[in-house]
Amino acid sequence: MYISLEGISKRYAAVTAVDEVDIAIGKTEFVSLLGPSGSGKTTLLRIIAGLERPTTGRVLIDGVDVTDLPPHKRGIAMVFQEFLLFPHRTVRENLAFPLRMQQLSKEEIASRVAWAAGILSLEGLEDRYPNQLSGGQQQRVALGRGLVAHPKVLLLDEPLANLDRELRQEMEVEIRRYQMQLGIPFIYVTHNQEEAMSMSDRIAVVSKGRIEDFAERSEVYDHPKTAFIAQFVGRSSHFNGTVSAVSSEGASVDISGVKLHVSRNANLKAGQRVVVFVKNEKVQLEARTDTARANSIDCRIKDIILRGAYAEYILDAPALGAELVATRPRSETVFTAGQEVRAFWSGDAPDIFPADKAA
Amino acid sequence: MTHKTKAVLLLGIPTAYLVLLFILPIISLIVLSFWKTESYHLVYEWNIQNYVTVLTEGAYLTFLIRSIVVSVIVSVLATAIGWIAAYAIWTYGGRFRLLLALAFAVPFFTGEVLRVIALQGLLGPVGLINGTLMKWGFAPVRALMYSNVASGIGLFYLYLPIAVTVIYLSLLNLDRRLIDAAKIFGAGGFRSFIEITFPLNLVGTLIAFALCFIPCMSATLSPRFLGGPNGTLYGMAMAQQFGESGTWALGAAMGVILFLFSLLAVVLIASCLDLRRTGFTGFGRN
Repeated sequence: MYISLEGISKRYAAVTAVDEVDIAIGKTEFVSLLGPSGSGKTTLLRIIAGLERPTTGRVLIDGVDVTDLPPHKRGIAMVFQEFLLFPHRTVRENLAFPLRMQQLSKEEIASRVAWAAGILSLEGLEDRYPNQLSGGQQQRVALGRGLVAHPKVLLLDEPLANLDRELRQEMEVEIRRYQMQLGIPFIYVTHNQEEAMSMSDRIAVVSKGRIEDFAERSEVYDHPKTAFIAQFVGRSSHFNGTVSAVSSEGASVDISGVKLHVSRNANLKAGQRVVVFVKNEKVQLEARTDTARANSIDCRIKDIILRGAYAEYILDAPALGAELVATRPRSETVFTAGQEVRAFWSGDAPDIFPADKAA
Repeated sequence: MTHKTKAVLLLGIPTAYLVLLFILPIISLIVLSFWKTESYHLVYEWNIQNYVTVLTEGAYLTFLIRSIVVSVIVSVLATAIGWIAAYAIWTYGGRFRLLLALAFAVPFFTGEVLRVIALQGLLGPVGLINGTLMKWGFAPVRALMYSNVASGIGLFYLYLPIAVTVIYLSLLNLDRRLIDAAKIFGAGGFRSFIEITFPLNLVGTLIAFALCFIPCMSATLSPRFLGGPNGTLYGMAMAQQFGESGTWALGAAMGVILFLFSLLAVVLIASCLDLRRTGFTGFGRN
């Protein structure tokens, strides 16, 4: 693999920020480190950058052990959440900085800076200072400064967190495009699952300094490996229950008297406490009827939140003593607030985990 | 109280204070410099003789040039050493940073006269250094005894704490992560200092320099107690006009010339300075 972290740990006195992490990343991969704040994902990125020294373990870039190399000898580049443009240098000088450090010729520097200004629509802004730019423009310069250097790997630390939503989605597409153009790995730290989902080849979900799972993005979304991932990735409702029976077709789960069937049994035993997650978009709705249906619950629509093409129904399920949410395309039957409905899902929709490992 | 009343009060009081205690005395000094003094009496007779005297008499010019040379050397050294000390505290001070920075202000607690006299005890002919040397049978270091070097050492000692404090405060305002960024993009430790740390603290550095240079130019204590017979500096000569000689008008003219000189120096430095190249916005860190 092109980049490897082997047994990386980082401890500060009593706190373990990163705990025995092993990751291998290919040369043309876009990898996201996804986790809540304080999970250790940024520390991990700073260890790859050389801004932090791991307490144990090795970092390899392109087959070279760089664990003991300072940042400036690693041939990397980074895009920061706060941009960190040099305030006393113009856009042009900011873009040229990494190239000057590499002692490239004046012509080479000029042509690469022009290239970066071109692809990032920064033409005409080259002689401005960072404080004369909008947030989006500063972000582009920060990204350009990372790209011009032709680094062995580009590290991105929540680069879009300070931008508004629209700009963010635009940049997601662009960032992914540059990654494919340059053919170098991007390691992208974010707490925003949508960003991770939209760009990455693979996602490493980080929690409490550990990698919960490192897999293809669809795998992480569709088959969460742990309760933490089920909770953190995607939007879902969850219920605590007890396994009442286990068969080769799955498990029956008793949630405050409501029986549910789960077609994955995940090595469960009867009597075990479990937590069941159902993703919002897998919950379907229908008008109340008398015909029986497996995995269905009578609900009342408490509230409806419109999200463009989708409607989010907030459902009150008295039998469960809980709320659940159904996200439906607005092209489907439209229900109204206060309406009595029935929520149901297919047997393979829920993800089920032993309760003791619940997040 | 409305926002506007508050603004008027908060800006107005210091302005009134400045006018009363700063602008008025300077104006009276300027007026005084165009009068003359005869046998300890002021004569209200407009003339420019005082200026002619200061600018043509060899002694005053010697004092002025000597003062400039000593002040430049002392301020450059104080700024350079101040940088090293402030940078060391900022980088390696850890949780003792505040304490270390305050420690540099400790000499201020005693007052200038005591500090200079303490130095006299250290540097003088029978002082700690030369006394010890002689006791061990070595020749004393003449340069330390009542000389311009000794008076320079005194000035350096007086104003180094100011340089350290100003540069340290300037460094505190620097976003350390910019240095991380420079390192990521290929700059080593020295290179990132040259490219990032120093230029972004240039304003602080110049203020430190000016806050050493200007008091050095008007210094009286250090040259009087440490400078010896050939150590008269401009400020000391100026003070004498108001004391022993009783030639206040001449002293006032010297003061005005010093004021104009300092003003010129500041304007010159400021005009060579492109604030944008120092990341200085005047609005703090954004």
